[in-house]
Amino acid sequence: MNIQSRKKALRYFFEKVVGPLGFKFTPDADLVEFLLEQEVILEGKHGIPFCPCQLLRHDRTRDMQIVCPCIPFHRKHFDIIKRCWCGLFVHKDVLDPSKLPQLSPKEVGLD
Amino acid sequence: MTEKFVRAISASEVTSGGMKAIELDGNEIVICNCGGKYYAIQRRCGHMNAPLEKGTLDGTYLTCPMHCVQFDVTNGEALSGPVPPDFGQEIPSPMFGEYLQNIGMLMKDVRTESIRTYATKLESGWVLIAL
Amino acid sequence: MKKIIVYTLSTCPWCRKTKKFFAEHNIPFTYIDYDLADEATQKKISNELDAAGATGFPFVKIGEEVISGYQPERYSSALGI
Repeated sequence: MNIQSRKKALRYFFEKVVGPLGFKFTPDADLVEFLLEQEVILEGKHGIPFCPCQLLRHDRTRDMQIVCPCIPFHRKHFDIIKRCWCGLFVHKDVLDPSKLPQLSPKEVGLD
Repeated sequence: MTEKFVRAISASEVTSGGMKAIELDGNEIVICNCGGKYYAIQRRCGHMNAPLEKGTLDGTYLTCPMHCVQFDVTNGEALSGPVPPDFGQEIPSPMFGEYLQNIGMLMKDVRTESIRTYATKLESGWVLIAL
Repeated sequence: MKKIIVYTLSTCPWCRKTKKFFAEHNIPFTYIDYDLADEATQKKISNELDAAGATGFPFVKIGEEVISGYQPERYSSALGI
């Protein structure tokens, strides 16, 4: 399967999901290309585009929570840090994503 | 050699975002209406032959209902493989466990192929297809 | 010198930046790519992340301190540099 074709399709599907949640693709175009490519590779391996930066436990219930876009499962956390964990998506008003640190839920007062 | 177009169906039979399966000269074909643009693809999924018109069409992307393989209807390209039935190490129920494991084992060797597409054109309210 | 162990994923760009941070500062560290590790190691790492309340990589241990995510200022602070 062609990686570029699959990336294009994933962009199309993801855009429709994250928009209504208040997120957009990060303005860092290189990061988008890299992360989407990793997701296509993960999809090729596991059948599902998992987040390239989160823990895959091989436990269905928990792994479903890191299927991209995983924003709905981490809404509070991601709304506080204004980005998703891997940084593929950021809040719509973010212009400079490099200013968004990668803080864990514990660090922002969540369990 | 110029393509020979034949009348397939009336354009109004397939609404925008919809699909319809037809048979033309022994060819099983699905007509897709993507926002007013018509595409014609082979009916059978390039994975395990499921009828694609029973799947979902989003833009120009078609998802097979059986194992969620996705195709680009503009060129028939298979974009992703099947979603595995044995996702993770979830323990299957005792009744179906062994059956599912056997199916999963056989499916590992099934290849997903891209699908055939047919040239289309609209003429006087009809969708024409080149066989 | 504090012992540094980093759990990473081969697919994660932030993990690469983390490794690069320690390399560029000439700080010795060991790392394990979770996704390329054997089942037993994966279980061990998974349990450590759970215990720390973390779900993402990189997972950095500097001595006793645990830092989840790519946070170069915190690494510097933990190392006193």
